Amino acid sequence: MSNPKPGDGYRNNRVGPILRASAITEGVIEAAQEDNPGKEIRVEDKVAYVRIEAEGELILRRTTLEETLGRPFKMSELEVNLGSFAGRIETTADYVRFYYDKTL
Amino acid sequence: MPMLERADWYDIARDTNWTPKYVSQEALFPDVMTGAQGVPMAQWQSYDEPYKTSYPEYVRVQREKDAGAYSVKAALERSNIFASADPGWHSILKAHYGSLAVGEYAAMSGEARMVRFGQAPGMRNMATFGMLDENRHAQLQLYYPHDLVSKDRQFDWAQKAYHTNEWAAIAVRHTLDDLFMARSATETAIMLTFAFETGFTNMQFLGLAADAAETGDYTFASLVSSIQTDESRHAQIGGPALEVLIANGRKAEAQKLVDVAIARTWRLFAILTGPSMDYYTPIEHRKQSFKEFMQEWIVGQFERSLIELGLDLPWYWDKMIAEFEFQHHAYHLGLWFWRKTLWWNPAAAVTPECRAWLEEKYPGWNDTFGKCWDVITDNLLAGREDLTHPETLPVLCNMSQIPICAIPGNGWNVKDYPLDYEGRTYHFNSEIDRWVFEQDPVRYRDHMSLVDRFLAGEIQPPTLAGALAYMGLSPAEMGDDAHKYAWADAFRPDPLAKSAA
Repeated sequence: MSNPKPGDGYRNNRVGPILRASAITEGVIEAAQEDNPGKEIRVEDKVAYVRIEAEGELILRRTTLEETLGRPFKMSELEVNLGSFAGRIETTADYVRFYYDKTL
Repeated sequence: MPMLERADWYDIARDTNWTPKYVSQEALFPDVMTGAQGVPMAQWQSYDEPYKTSYPEYVRVQREKDAGAYSVKAALERSNIFASADPGWHSILKAHYGSLAVGEYAAMSGEARMVRFGQAPGMRNMATFGMLDENRHAQLQLYYPHDLVSKDRQFDWAQKAYHTNEWAAIAVRHTLDDLFMARSATETAIMLTFAFETGFTNMQFLGLAADAAETGDYTFASLVSSIQTDESRHAQIGGPALEVLIANGRKAEAQKLVDVAIARTWRLFAILTGPSMDYYTPIEHRKQSFKEFMQEWIVGQFERSLIELGLDLPWYWDKMIAEFEFQHHAYHLGLWFWRKTLWWNPAAAVTPECRAWLEEKYPGWNDTFGKCWDVITDNLLAGREDLTHPETLPVLCNMSQIPICAIPGNGWNVKDYPLDYEGRTYHFNSEIDRWVFEQDPVRYRDHMSLVDRFLAGEIQPPTLAGALAYMGLSPAEMGDDAHKYAWADAFRPDPLAKSAA
């Protein structure tokens, strides 16, 4: 997909967390793959931050993160490394969901 | 004892609305402070903050963030990173701390206004955490540079800049006053948290962190990216406020606030983040160009979220995108030219290698900005550094407070956009800046730019020395070329003729 005009770059539906360089990054990528079956999870590593993105919706579940990180994990702990995110966010004790209501 | 999940008690605990008995609702929440635009309080009940936290969670998470940032700092304290970093990188740190540290304290006041006058309980709740966040940011960003003052006194400007009339400090203050210090709770939610924080702070706090990590300054990368995790949460105060306004027939008003905020914020980041990324960061450590970071964060991510919330692109969208190609190059040239008036040392970063990079990232650079740097380089090679300093004052934009500038050389498009209002002629950098003024002329009309003050006789003696004293710059603090002009040696025809310096 190419954008004919640079100003049209907003026409996308990519959502997901942007994590700081952290010890949980690998575990989050793994959980994103597990919790979003059938979706392509794109990972862009900028060293200081890593973009983890999918089309339209991306869910991260606490139980999955506990498996991929191998330790107990409170969903609110994600904030320690959540530098930014694309899309809207829904925060609960069991999962965090990034999504767009509108599809462009 | 089993604890209830947050979701089981959150809504009831944060619902702090009550019916006042001793004063009227209007007296308790005057429209001038709430900025509710006539949308009744009952309508604000639908406000639902998407990024929720509770006080126990907040304290636990923030403690962990601080422990992380301070431990990276402590671990790297004895390393030689600061001493071995390029002087251009030092300039990034000085410009960053001076422009933003005390501004974070100001943002705490903005958050406090939402705590007191926010129309929705959810807004007041999240702004309480936002207020604490901004306090943390101010303290961290005053503490880190404080350690460096003994190495280089320009770092003292982290504390000092906001308390002076240095022109860049005036530009930052003018912008932040407009975005949140002199705004109602609803306006602050939209202009500070939505436009400034979900949009542009990502550029300086994550984009620049990528360059910092490449440079090896993990202390700074860890600090600013940690700060951005707070922003990422409390920036979500603005979105639901926009949705309430739009749902109650106030889309035009909401759109205008967003458009004004983006216009003003873009200028600030173009002059701060633009030169930092494309010039001051050593070429081998540049992760992406400023334009590429703008594409990633502002076009691809922030503008997309604006559409999601039901707003339109700003009317000047195409004009702003066009400015990505040139505005920060023009600002860089101006910063370097008037370098004595800065609290940091701008890195020219125009060696043959740098110019090739600029030409690749911004086709046509050599034929435009390069033409100015050709003259500067020739003067330096001829031993005439004196000719590389200005003899006149710039024309300052009466909105951004930054010199009016655009493309020089063969792409010349420099132009003043004047406006006569109540007998005074105002000057603007673009149609966008002039449009912002026209939205609320009474708000802006009495401000005097630094050059207006000079011409009005407020700066005495009316000389460069007088102006530097007015700006609070002592001779030991004023800026100079970051590399003491060593970069010009690369243009000497005979390598053996390179100066020993």
